[in-house]
Amino acid sequence: MGLYDLIINRLQEIQRKAKEQEPVTNISASSTLAAEITLISSVLIAAVMLRRISDMLMVVVVLALVIGLVAAMPLMPRLREEQGDSFHNMIFYVIITLGVITALFYWGTANV
Amino acid sequence: MNPLIPIMVILPITCALLLNLLHNKDKTVKILALIAGVALPLIPLLANYGMHYFGGYAPLIDNPTLAQGLPSTITNSSLYLFHPAITYSFASAQQLFIFVLGMVAFLAIFTSLNETKRASGVYTFLMFMGTAAVTAIVLADDIFNLYVFFEIAALTQVGIIICSKVENNYETALKYMILGSIAAPMLLLGIALLLGVTGNVNITDIIFAINHGMVDPQSPVLLLACGLILFGWLYGSGLPPFHTIKSAVYSKALPHGAALLQAFSVFTFAALGVIIIRIFAYLPFTETVVIFFSLAAMILGITMALMQTDFKRIIGFLAVGELGYIGLGLGMGTALGITAGLFQAVNEAIITAFLFIGFGTVLYKTGISDTNKLGGMLVENPKVAILVLLAGLAMAGVPPFNAFQSKLQLIQASINAGLPELGIIMVLLSIVTFLTFVKAYYTIYLKPKPQDLQIINEKIPRATIITMMVFLVICLVLGLFPQLATDSLQQLAVGLV
Repeated sequence: MGLYDLIINRLQEIQRKAKEQEPVTNISASSTLAAEITLISSVLIAAVMLRRISDMLMVVVVLALVIGLVAAMPLMPRLREEQGDSFHNMIFYVIITLGVITALFYWGTANV
Repeated sequence: MNPLIPIMVILPITCALLLNLLHNKDKTVKILALIAGVALPLIPLLANYGMHYFGGYAPLIDNPTLAQGLPSTITNSSLYLFHPAITYSFASAQQLFIFVLGMVAFLAIFTSLNETKRASGVYTFLMFMGTAAVTAIVLADDIFNLYVFFEIAALTQVGIIICSKVENNYETALKYMILGSIAAPMLLLGIALLLGVTGNVNITDIIFAINHGMVDPQSPVLLLACGLILFGWLYGSGLPPFHTIKSAVYSKALPHGAALLQAFSVFTFAALGVIIIRIFAYLPFTETVVIFFSLAAMILGITMALMQTDFKRIIGFLAVGELGYIGLGLGMGTALGITAGLFQAVNEAIITAFLFIGFGTVLYKTGISDTNKLGGMLVENPKVAILVLLAGLAMAGVPPFNAFQSKLQLIQASINAGLPELGIIMVLLSIVTFLTFVKAYYTIYLKPKPQDLQIINEKIPRATIITMMVFLVICLVLGLFPQLATDSLQQLAVGLV
């Protein structure tokens, strides 16, 4: 099954779950594919910046990301589901971010 | 002391209170709002640069008469330099920010008064109050005063959504308030920790205390304060994890309201971002975190915009994504990067307002924002369609518009800073921004008109067209003469490095 079909199936599945009535069109499938490629390429390019810490770390992270992201495709339909208007998801990410930021600044800064 | 500096905040607050009192008198509301609206961008142009000390309590160093009678234990200590009053600082960067904010506010109010049949005193009150609050955030050199206006700005944003009468607006407003009830106290806690460690709320004095060894810069409490203030900054500006709610907030406001709301976010982002860099730039980790969240905002905002079908939500996510460019500039920590980032803030405030008001004409004619149900709008009003196309080209960074200059400077700054990867990501995401805009433009204007689409037989108000033309002119002027903005911002940027 091609990536295009995978994306259409996944979009239909999410819309069924969300009880959305709108059809899956060529535009929505193409947009998802474009967003997918943008997401993966941007994350990979961003990961290259790890070279400033260690070249080896950069190579390992980029390779791990390539394998992980390609294996998890299609990502955007899932991301859309996750980044929706659900209040539970919003609160979850807000609390997680608060925890990570405070922990990193409190304990991590002296070592960076 | 320059009396025009506090008037930049006092005038919109006074006008807002009067408008609320006179909310039933439509004509009075219109006249008063227009007069005060015109004054908003004019006052910063007329005011001289300088400081304003509330209550007249200048630092002792600036007040030799008072200092003469004081014991040497005070005059020989840092108390001699400290700022005892709430201080507002007005320089060229603040002038540019407040001028652009005033322009966006005036044009948004002008459009709203002409698009609505009955002028709402309460709605106009909220627009003025929000403008006053964000102006104070830009001016304040006192972090507690900044927090007070940060809260007022957040409340007015909620009010603007509630006044819109858009479907599910109450739900979005409530969600925004609840998330704010987590983030804003964290910001206040960060400020309280900063006060606890340095004994001061004046930003210049806090920096003096840190730089002159009066406090331990690596104190865990100070580091925690940095983390908490940074978290509050994410909420105020709509960076992840607040990007979803922020884009929802924009989509639940009326187009002129959304135009103003995004300007609030942009200038809060820039002002608080500059403060974070000023105070905590000695921690390299701060700049890394700023870059991380800015990148996340760009990637998530722009890819999520591509996935939307509601054009208000598309612009909302694009606005969040564009914020990332400003953050990258600040995070690079170089004079060129910071100048370019702040220039991008000015450009984004103008272009996104242009887009919201431009696409708002579609909502005005059809009452629909779902692109699946729209089409053929080019035939309805080709002139407006061309103006919206130009707004989209400006956002994507196409020359000769202003965002081209700021994005080019950002890319140059990233290369100079030894981070060419950021430049590549910026180019890539600018292309995807354009792709997203073209998708929305095609589905609204170029696709055949659906048979069941009903378009009201009313002309788009002339005020809306004038507003779009003014935005277009500003975009072109700043695109052709970027030094008009960058010269004002450079001084602040150099001072930060």
